[in-house]
Amino acid sequence: MIEALFAQTNYVASKKLLDATVLRHEAIAANIANAETPNYKRVDLAPTFAAELSRAIADKSVSQVANLRPQLAVDGSATAANRDGNTVQLESELLRMQQNTMAHALEVQFISGSLSKLRSAITGRLT
Amino acid sequence: MIDFIPGISGTAAALNAERIRMEVVSQNIANASTTRGPNGLPYQRQQVVFETVLQQRLSGSGSAGVSPQSVKVARVLPDTRPARTTFIPGHPDADANGMVKMPNVNIHEEMADLITSSRTYEANLAVIKNARQMALQTLAISKH
Repeated sequence: MIEALFAQTNYVASKKLLDATVLRHEAIAANIANAETPNYKRVDLAPTFAAELSRAIADKSVSQVANLRPQLAVDGSATAANRDGNTVQLESELLRMQQNTMAHALEVQFISGSLSKLRSAITGRLT
Repeated sequence: MIDFIPGISGTAAALNAERIRMEVVSQNIANASTTRGPNGLPYQRQQVVFETVLQQRLSGSGSAGVSPQSVKVARVLPDTRPARTTFIPGHPDADANGMVKMPNVNIHEEMADLITSSRTYEANLAVIKNARQMALQTLAISKH
């Protein structure tokens, strides 16, 4: 019964997005750690995740959203800038990291907002 | 131990690897004109070899996808390029023609390596800073 409070599609989706953002940060951390390793291929969030998430949200199916598993995949579109076969570019990696941190802040704000709305609905007080 | 800060172990390994690289570079610069080492030969430039390490993931968080990889210094190898020879007659290590074998260290190359290394180090520090910020934000959910 109480679960129904936390089963809105948007809330579940933003929780999933938070998971995905943390996973993406791990990927970027691994890429920057291996910025100088010969033949390292950069990893990122699998591009299928975004498509599956938007499909699940369009279907308004909470279980479908909850069953999504963000995964990492080797970025096949990245090309090596020099002859050592490493596909990491430090600048774009740092830029992606900043974007990711901003996205994380936004998702946290959204989740906090949902929870505080719920709280003011329960207590009847605006906190 | 719960992994509060995402990707911290790989970044720590990278900081360690870059520090080893900087130590090797400083050793090369320090010995840029050492004509006689313990083996009686001129100093040979050392270089680090980076290698990826597969990270162990918790079974719960790990799914079928690719795992993020860490990094380590696999080996420190001597550079096999030939020694430079300079004409310094009267030098104790000079041969019959007055030629002295100098180490195969190129200062400019070492300085470029040093800068690359310290920039990569800084980038890894930025990763930790962002990860910490993300962890603190997550802990602050519904505090306000």
